[in-house]
Amino acid sequence: MSVATESAPDRLTFTPQELLESGSYEEPLIAGGVRCHGGFDSTGAYRSPRMVHRGPAIDAWKSQLARDGHGLIEISKALMPPQYPNVDQAKLLLRNGVRDPIVRALTIISIVEGFGAVIRDVKVPDLGEWVVESVEGTALAHLDKGLFEAHARDESGYREEGGHKQMWEAARDTALENPKIPGDVLMRMMGGGGGGQRGKAERPFPQLDPTLERMLTMMARVCIVEVFAEGTFDWGERVLSDGEVSAAPDAAGGMVRNIRADENPHVEYLRTGLSEMRARTIRTVDGKTIAGETVIDGLLHGMLHEMTRSRPRDQREDLRESLGEAMKVASNPKALLEEFDALESVWTPPETTGFEPSTEAA
Amino acid sequence: MRRTGTVTRLGIYLYLLYKVPAWKRKLLRQPEHTDEELRPLHDRAANAILAAATSMRGVMIKMCQAMATRADVFPPEFVERLKECHDSVPPKPWPVVKAALERELGQPIDAVFSEFSETPIASASLAQVHIARLKSGREVAVKVQYPDIEDIFRTDLRNMERGVRAYEWFDPQPLPLLPLIKELTEHVGYEIDFRREARSGARVREMFAKNPRIWIPEVLEEHSTGRILVMEKVSGIKITEKAQLLEHGIDPEDVVQDLMSVYVQMILGAGFFQADPHPGNLMVTPDGRLIVLDFGLSKELPEGFGMGLFELMFSMMTFNEASMMRAFKELGFASKTGDDGTFLLIARRMISRSDSGAFEGEFTEEMTDELFDAIREDPVVDVPSDFVLVGRVFSFLSGIAHTLGGRANVLQAMGAGGSRG
Repeated sequence: MSVATESAPDRLTFTPQELLESGSYEEPLIAGGVRCHGGFDSTGAYRSPRMVHRGPAIDAWKSQLARDGHGLIEISKALMPPQYPNVDQAKLLLRNGVRDPIVRALTIISIVEGFGAVIRDVKVPDLGEWVVESVEGTALAHLDKGLFEAHARDESGYREEGGHKQMWEAARDTALENPKIPGDVLMRMMGGGGGGQRGKAERPFPQLDPTLERMLTMMARVCIVEVFAEGTFDWGERVLSDGEVSAAPDAAGGMVRNIRADENPHVEYLRTGLSEMRARTIRTVDGKTIAGETVIDGLLHGMLHEMTRSRPRDQREDLRESLGEAMKVASNPKALLEEFDALESVWTPPETTGFEPSTEAA
Repeated sequence: MRRTGTVTRLGIYLYLLYKVPAWKRKLLRQPEHTDEELRPLHDRAANAILAAATSMRGVMIKMCQAMATRADVFPPEFVERLKECHDSVPPKPWPVVKAALERELGQPIDAVFSEFSETPIASASLAQVHIARLKSGREVAVKVQYPDIEDIFRTDLRNMERGVRAYEWFDPQPLPLLPLIKELTEHVGYEIDFRREARSGARVREMFAKNPRIWIPEVLEEHSTGRILVMEKVSGIKITEKAQLLEHGIDPEDVVQDLMSVYVQMILGAGFFQADPHPGNLMVTPDGRLIVLDFGLSKELPEGFGMGLFELMFSMMTFNEASMMRAFKELGFASKTGDDGTFLLIARRMISRSDSGAFEGEFTEEMTDELFDAIREDPVVDVPSDFVLVGRVFSFLSGIAHTLGGRANVLQAMGAGGSRG
């Protein structure tokens, strides 16, 4: 049974309960002994959770945006930094019994997925107060009325169901046969004692209501991370579905494919909402207005410029820090390191992001 | 015998202090005391407890320190009065301290130090701290263990054990207090070994070496012994002095978040932590750096415990009861009947705490208490002792956050700040 097409095509307003509705499945998804969200229809195809109305709703809002003459923002795939280690390097490590870096990477992916649940805590201000044009019947109007909550539940699970966090753990554990989790995973996640950034970063648009600015900043960041995650999913699927290094290539690869399918609505509702805001005019706290395009493009450009540079560097540095130690389990660590380095692919971030600011405050 | 007598007298005094006025009212058919009317009694009780603790020192001081952090349990008069036990216990006289120092150093004080302040800057349950200057010119803080403290602790613990055994003999269904005494004995053993404290401090110092906001004072091992610690001198504002923090332009919210981050990293990340975060051990420099002192009670957690605890806290904050049940088992919780229903009930109770539908990253004092209440009320669950200690630490931290009026975002401390959503 298909569960994703039950809303009338021109409907633009939905209740939170509708956006969270999953319908029923022929067979539940059980991953590593854990009941997860989503399930399989009568043809055996995987169906994502909470899509009975959410999928059609996102399509309807996108269509409405197009009818109003506005385009959807598009983050170029060319901006997506490659995963480090790359697929060939990861397989090389696993073939040589060097499992810790890959187990650590997969564990961190699962935890980061789970952290996606913090989106449910994002405050949505009264958009009627801060946006000049109406937001009725848009994705924006549904952010805190089902969309953020559905996203949070997809990522970390809810009540008796596991989410992406648990699905990634199951993929790791089936492919690598319940590996020992390196003891430093959490410390690395938390910045390795380095402290990270303290709360109050410089505000890119101080003329905006702070709650609105925080919400848009979060949406833009998560949208970029979700787009970039495509590269992570591709990496995970290719590594874990290779029978040479994976004990359960079909199950583990399939699990990553399921997660990948679930992520699609996240990218779509976020870019729809951001595009809706981009097509509108925002009131500032001093009674003036600013084009939504200026704000959204400014946020996306700043983040893309920074993330395309910092992310590959951070990932590489993080792995290299413990690679030598991890390779000690190999029969010839020196030769392995040389081979590993020879497989390294060079990537240079594109000069432009496609969101270079061009408009000043109105 | 003298110490046992003091505790017995204190117990009888406190009992009568509250009961006699209550009995009187009952006899005269008057209404019970209001909170306001009880305040003078609380004052007198707190004074009596403090007097007994400062004369006895040892375990009594430890108990008062714990009481002073529990504004949610004890009346404000107790909290205010007993917080003196954090760092203002009456010090030992200088000649006693000097003799102890020279005995440990094996040479006169002026052979090592060019200056030594006879008045301590702090004194607590085990030791007092003096400022001094080494012959090299470096200014240092010297922590000197009270000469008789080991015997005092051992006597107190022995008395407590005897008392508990007597209680178990009389009570057909006694509370399991002996394991607590055993744990306290173990902790006291840690705390009186200053060499262990030096090693623990060095380990945590190394952990946060790259964090410019955290300052763990260096121990100068060449001058330290099992009963003396010579440390880099640090000075700052006591963490609970909110007005002073604000005067220096320090946002208490930042302090609370740094404090939570440090503890989350030590406990969940490293599995090794300073387990005594009472306000006497935490300071903030005028430029906002968090100072963590006193690594006497530091604890190594079993392998995998940090990850299990992470899963428990995370699942609680993300409403995932299935994960929470798995985490309980990973942590070593055991149901005597083998029935998972117990864990499910606890998980549901914790998750349903949030009326707003969001925890917003906050693992609050109420959540810690709720969890312990839920566990306490279900006698079939065995709680790992490490979990109790960690719970106590989070309870201390919540108390400090409460005092500062700040909120600690645990998810942010775990690394969730903007990583994905």
